[in-house]
Amino acid sequence: MARREREQPKRKPVRKPKQADTADRHALYQDAVQVPEGDIEFFETAYKRLRGKKPLVLREDFCGTAFLASTWVASHPKRRAIGIDLDKATLDWGRQHNLAKLSPAAKKRIALHQADVLDGVGEAADLTCALNFSYCVFKTRDLLRRYFASVLKTLKNDGVFVTELYGGTEAVIEIEDEREFDDFTYVWDQAMYNPITHETLCHIHFDFPDKSRMEKAFTYDWRLWTVPEIRELLLEVGFASVEVWWEGVDEDGEGNGEFEPTEREENQESWLVYIVAAK
Amino acid sequence: MTTKTQAQTQAKSRRKTRAALESRATRRKRATAAELADRHDLYERSVQDPENDVATMARLFKRYRGRDPLSMREDFCGTATLSVEWAASREGRWAVGVDLDVPTLAWGLSHRIEPAPPEVRARVQLIEGNVLDGLGPATDIGCALNFSYSVFKTRAELRRYFAKARETLTDDGLFIIDAWGGWESLKPDHDKRKLDGFVYEWEIERFDPLTNDVVCHIHFSFADGSRIDRAFTYRWRYWSVMELRELLAEAGFSRVHALWERTDEDGEGTGAWFEPRHVDDQELWWTYLVAER
Repeated sequence: MARREREQPKRKPVRKPKQADTADRHALYQDAVQVPEGDIEFFETAYKRLRGKKPLVLREDFCGTAFLASTWVASHPKRRAIGIDLDKATLDWGRQHNLAKLSPAAKKRIALHQADVLDGVGEAADLTCALNFSYCVFKTRDLLRRYFASVLKTLKNDGVFVTELYGGTEAVIEIEDEREFDDFTYVWDQAMYNPITHETLCHIHFDFPDKSRMEKAFTYDWRLWTVPEIRELLLEVGFASVEVWWEGVDEDGEGNGEFEPTEREENQESWLVYIVAAK
Repeated sequence: MTTKTQAQTQAKSRRKTRAALESRATRRKRATAAELADRHDLYERSVQDPENDVATMARLFKRYRGRDPLSMREDFCGTATLSVEWAASREGRWAVGVDLDVPTLAWGLSHRIEPAPPEVRARVQLIEGNVLDGLGPATDIGCALNFSYSVFKTRAELRRYFAKARETLTDDGLFIIDAWGGWESLKPDHDKRKLDGFVYEWEIERFDPLTNDVVCHIHFSFADGSRIDRAFTYRWRYWSVMELRELLAEAGFSRVHALWERTDEDGEGTGAWFEPRHVDDQELWWTYLVAER
């Protein structure tokens, strides 16, 4: 050991940490991908249309950092939330960063469970959501049917399930899509699509101004389901009705964030829908 | 008994009569190529390759069953040109064709079956009926090609069809269908292919991602500017390979093989089919699924 020290001509310069080394992937993810206020607005619209009232109890399956559940309980003093996720480290991050910002009263109205969404733990909800295509981890009809059945069971009698799906002619091609934010670039990487199993492998990378990259910050090994498949499965497990909400476009053809229920659409390069199932 | 010479003479006189009739018609108004053309004939020349299908299906049967298949059932047979090709391909082979559409069956009877040699003709049976009814004898191979099963738009209906297709197989029978896809396939498109004496046009009018309903047309156009618009129209549900695999399994098939065609260095299909676990998606592709009873 001593000899080794002598052999070193001089101390290595301290390497300035790259931005990718110090950035927090969960914080980046929340900034880049999540708009909980928008989701909540949609939940209110869709729920009110079906039930004529406001939902109070939200269940966020695959909640991750529980950003949405935290925003939910902060949005109204009567609102409660249940967050379910398998990953303890991500839940802990959520507790430290999202739940910590809540008022003591709001914090009492949120319960996070480290659990499998198939097990149906926690109180019954007015509205259950599985956003960001998280249920696509279930790659067989049997598993997805089991999950939807579990959702149905943990909803109140007049409960509503809201989920999302993406698709379009560009959903099945290998492509990297970049979106710039203030201090980083979000990269959505569709690395693989297998047409005989419908499996897709996607990554999220983050690029920084100092040219560093957080490679594969998140990786998704999914089956890319289609809208009719989801509708059929929801009806099979016993949901009473299933609606698909399609996003309107502005004059430039860009999504305007306004969703409307629809029965007939033309395929596009890329689309994202909300699927709303009523118990 | 009609000798070959007699038959030739008859054919010649028939041609003469037809020519006379045609020239009479021409005097009034020259008939367009579209008016003179036969859409079934054009269809066969555009999209069917029965010789190749017969060879592939027989090869696949031997691969999975280790014996030569004798019988083949062609569901949605249309003009039954595949059935005739099957019966003609080897002594002892026989075929059953099932279709709902009487005019198309009649066309096949007069244009494909009756002109075939008697021993071939005797080994082709046409059934006017619904493929859901499981009519006719059990066969070694059952097939539904050119995506014809896509007329069934619900899982329940397609499962019912697949279950029937399984029932009407021999104990070690195979059910063979084709499937298509690719990232260029599910959007409006109008593809033209120049063939001998006409242009074949494949149009995807619309694809609805909410239902996977797809509306397609085949048109034929000719050098004189005439065309047969919407010679064939298909109102289908697009079924993806995974959906088909799942439904075949649910219908009781013991194993389902999703095949893929090997390509040469130029990316052209070689006619060799293998069973990969993973393939890269392409702009457009079609492939076979083979289900073991």
